[in-house]
This record gives sequence, C-alpha cells and structure tokens, in this order.
Amino acid sequence: MNVEIFVTDKAGLQKFYEAIIAKNETYAPVEKFGKFDFKHVSSLSECDPDSPIEKTMSAKPLFFPRSAKILKYTADSSGTTVKETDEDPLAGKRVILGMKHCDARGLQVLDKVYNWDYIDSDYQKRRQNTVVISTRCDKAGTHCFCTSLDYDVQNLDAMDVLIVKGQDGKIFIKARTEKGEDFLKSNPIDSANSKQHPASEEEMKKQYDAFAASFRLKMNYKEINENLSKIFDTPEFENVSSNCIGCNTCAFICPTCHCFKISDEKIKDSGVRYKCYDSCNNGYFTLMAGGHNPRPAKYRRWRQRAMHKFVYYKERFGENLCVGCGRCTISCPVNISIFEVVNQVAKSEK
Amino acid sequence: MEQLLVPMMCKIDKVIQETPDIRTYRLKFKEEGLMEKFDYKPGQFVELSLLGAGECTFCISSSVTRKGYFDCSIKRAGNVTSDIHNSLEEGDEVGIRGPFGNWFPLEELKGKNLLIVGGGIGLAPLRSLIQYCIDNRNDYKDFTILYGSRTSADLCYKEETKEWQDNKSLNVILTIDKAEETWTSNVGVVPKILEEVVKPVIENTKVITCGPPIMIKYTIQSLKKLGFADKDIITTLEMKMQCGLGKCGRCNIGSTYVCKDGPVFTNEQLKNLPDEF
Repeated sequence: MNVEIFVTDKAGLQKFYEAIIAKNETYAPVEKFGKFDFKHVSSLSECDPDSPIEKTMSAKPLFFPRSAKILKYTADSSGTTVKETDEDPLAGKRVILGMKHCDARGLQVLDKVYNWDYIDSDYQKRRQNTVVISTRCDKAGTHCFCTSLDYDVQNLDAMDVLIVKGQDGKIFIKARTEKGEDFLKSNPIDSANSKQHPASEEEMKKQYDAFAASFRLKMNYKEINENLSKIFDTPEFENVSSNCIGCNTCAFICPTCHCFKISDEKIKDSGVRYKCYDSCNNGYFTLMAGGHNPRPAKYRRWRQRAMHKFVYYKERFGENLCVGCGRCTISCPVNISIFEVVNQVAKSEK
Repeated sequence: MEQLLVPMMCKIDKVIQETPDIRTYRLKFKEEGLMEKFDYKPGQFVELSLLGAGECTFCISSSVTRKGYFDCSIKRAGNVTSDIHNSLEEGDEVGIRGPFGNWFPLEELKGKNLLIVGGGIGLAPLRSLIQYCIDNRNDYKDFTILYGSRTSADLCYKEETKEWQDNKSLNVILTIDKAEETWTSNVGVVPKILEEVVKPVIENTKVITCGPPIMIKYTIQSLKKLGFADKDIITTLEMKMQCGLGKCGRCNIGSTYVCKDGPVFTNEQLKNLPDEF
C-alpha cells in the first residue's frame, strides 16, 4: 500500500484531534487520580492522547467490557421470561484516540480467540466499527519490552491511523488500513500545515530506531517459548510465584487476558446475568462442585498464567499472549514481573 | 458473544430420584419445534441454568434415538446443584445452551466389541452411549457394561440397569465397594472386578470409561495391565467450564480446550496433555 504520509506540527495535530472529536463518537485517555483510562470525550481538553504508557490503562475494555449484561429475566406463575439485553453501547461507529501500539497488538492477538469456531459477533462488530488512531511512544517505559516480542511494532494491522512524532516538531500521520484511509478523507488534516514529504518514511524509521534503543528490557522470546514448553514440572514456579497475593490485577489490566466468568444477580423474582472478567490466578477459577480443583496451589495457577501466555496460546493460535506492555508489573502490589518470571523459569533446570 | 450466552428455556417433564443425591431431570424445550431440531450425540454436554443461581455444565444422559425429550442427571455437589435439587420440581423451567463439545467416536466403534466401565455418576454420559448403541445394536459386536458404586443405594438408573440385565444381547456386571446383606452380586472396586470377573477380550475391543478421577486412574492402569492400547481406551473428562464455546479460558489444559476438543479423549490424547490432574 503506497499511502500518503501527512506532515504537520503540534498545532496541526491539535486541530486534527479537535475536528475528530467534534465530528465523531470519540474515546480517548482521560486522567483520574494520576491514571488514564479510555472514556468517551466531547472536547480535547478532557483528554490526553499522548498519555504516557506507564500511566495508561489498556483500551481492551472498549472491545471486551469489564462486565457485560447477557440477559435479564423475570419469573412468575406463568413461567420464566428471558429478555436479551438492550443495545450494545460499544457497537456504534466510533474513534479511539491515543491508543498505544501494544494495545493494537493486543487486539490482533484477541482476534484469534474470538474468531475461531464460534464467532464472538459483539467483539467483531466493535472491532469493525472502530477506527483506531495510535501514536507511537517516544521512549520505552521502565517495564516495556514490546520490541523484543513476536511482532513488528511498526506494522500493526489493528492500527488504522498511525501518528509518529519526529524531530524538529514534525508530526507524521499515515493511514495504515483502508478504514484509516477513508477516515482521513472524511477527517482531513489541516492543509495549511500539511504536505507530502518524500523522506517521511525515513524520518519515521529514525524515530522508531531511537525509540527501540530506549528499551531497558530485552527478551529472547523464541528461547522462552522453547524452554518453557519443556519444563512444566520445574519447582522454579513455586519460587517465582511465592509473593503473589492473588489479587488478579495483572489479568484485569492485561491487553490480552480474556478469561471471563458468568454470574447471576437475583432480586426477588427477577435478575440479571453478567459476563465479567476473571483470572486464572483466582483460587476458585477451576474449583469444581464437589471440591475437586486441578490447580489448588498458587504455583500451579502461576504456571498456567505463564504457560498460557508463552506456550499454550502460541501452540494454538500462533502468537504469544503477551504484548510486552509491562502494565501487569507496574500495577502488581508485590512487584512480580512477567518478564522476570518467564526468564527465570526458562533458565531453570527441570 | 452475549447472544450465544443466552439460554433457551426448557420445562421439566419429570424428576427421577436415582440415588439419595442424584436426580435425573427429563427436559423438553418450551419453544415449539425446538425439541425436534435438538440434535446431539452421546458424550456431548449442555450448559444448564437455574436463573438466579447460575449455570453449570452437565452431560446429556439420554440418547437422541429416544425422541421427544432429553435427560440431565445431576448430583448434589455444589451451590448451583444444591439449589437445583432444593428448588426444582416437575413443571419448573431451566435454561439450556448447547449441545457442546465432541462425542464418542461412533463410527470408530462400529463393528467393535464394546466394554463400558462406569462408576457412580460417571454412568451418566455412558448411559447416552449405551442407549444409542442398544438402539443401533446390530452395528456393534459383544457389548459389556461394568458399573460400580460405593453402596447399592448409590447405583444410578436402577430400573434401566435391570432392563439392561434382562437384555440377552448385553453382558451387564454390577458391583459395589463393600458387602451388604441383601446384595448378591459382585463386591469390590471397579478395577478389581474388571481384572478378576470381567476379564475382557482385548482383540477388537474399545473401552469407554467414566467415573470419579480416582476410579478412572486405576481403571486405566488395570486396562493397560490387561493389554489394552492407549488408543482403544476412551474417557470423558470433567473440567470446570463456563462458556462452552472455547472462549472463557476456564477449561484449558495446555493448549487444549476441553469444551471444544473434548470432553471425550482417548488415553493416547490424554498422555500428551500437561499433567494437571
């Protein structure tokens, strides 16, 4: 795809954003208590599309909500009536500003599980109706390692429009998909500040190289995939998981974790059934009626988490179930890092 | 996805008290025409919900060859199953999603001797297969059923097992773990009776087994000792599930989704799974 690259400056970008927000149903990072979460916005002053990766929640809940109503029911003497829930609030046409590259990768990874066998039509609709605008980070966060995983950060199909901040205040905007191209046609970049630049591609690459050089963490994911698949029984899992308090924060904020549970809420003769986030780190995750639990110990649950991310999902769907965003490590109350866990276990002897 | 998680309502046609803690619920879809369209195979399961209490996974314990209804046999074990036992009567309604999962390899079983080994509530998925095979009896050769439970009171489907015993084309062996005064049949755990009483022919025989995990473990050991190959030992796994659609991640064992790739596995396939049990 030989696509135009628009060059603008900070003011031009601001105008571009403002026009998008005025014209479209827009979601962007909104600050609250020092953390950014993706919310519906009606003006640019409410949000910050350049929010730092370390303080920004993933955009996953816009595609896979934290809790979603499955049905409502009422029961009376004539029987039970089940009503499907009202229209999905996330299914309409919308734009996401300031989504991080790792989140875009997260969507590509989730596409695999939602589109095999039974198709998750709600997820698919949300994906199709969303234009993702993603700005490349300037530098790596302390716990980031996206550049050393099994994907090219510069080429992500889930990003419809890519924004790169180059040198001398130059800002490059490029459509990456057909949806993105159409979007830029109907949401043009301020022409006074934009022109085509022949060396843009090179300058964007330069920005990437500087960004890639800023990473503290580097991982050999192939070695991890291979070694982990051989050491299911290593006692090292007990060492790496011993501090875990089972709070499940890591799973809830992960851009790729997708386990959920179904639970009922009952009020007298009526009620609601929800689909909510769940995590394999929960002690009751696999607890069966009658008391049998295949993963009764914490290290077994951590083993499931690590192996699912770096072995099982890869075997099944061909991708690592980790995008290297480091959010789980930042939010962990006891400083467990998935990066360290898999590296340490992969190095251990069986 | 949310639509796929909405159940269809069924009316409870009949409740059969099988043992002190197991009841069979005979179900019919409320919506007209749905029952006729409900096509399933032995070994498949459904998600049954008591709205307000929750949703649980149960195998279908009847065969599609018996028309007009389907059965779920439910043991009182946890929160939802207790609520089901406590509150559901004939005429009440439950939600059903399914059928889900794979099934016993019916084509592969054709022309083979069948040895069914069941323990306790583990007879439920096997009953679906037994009914199916009885209704297509000419497709199979020798047909042996070994079924055991802790006490005689815990034997499931008492009426039906009597019918099976009266059926000349079946060889039915019942056993209980400990001797009881009125019990005249075999006494001893299933693997022991398998080795000492059943003494199965190995040639051209497929074994299908289900029961409590500990029984399956020792039954497979006995079968191996008798000389059965891993590919001829078929079992159905119990694993916590929720969506049944290969999405919620709960039933993963390694890269296998028990709800999609299973619940029926051969021992050969089980050996390749990570040792989570």
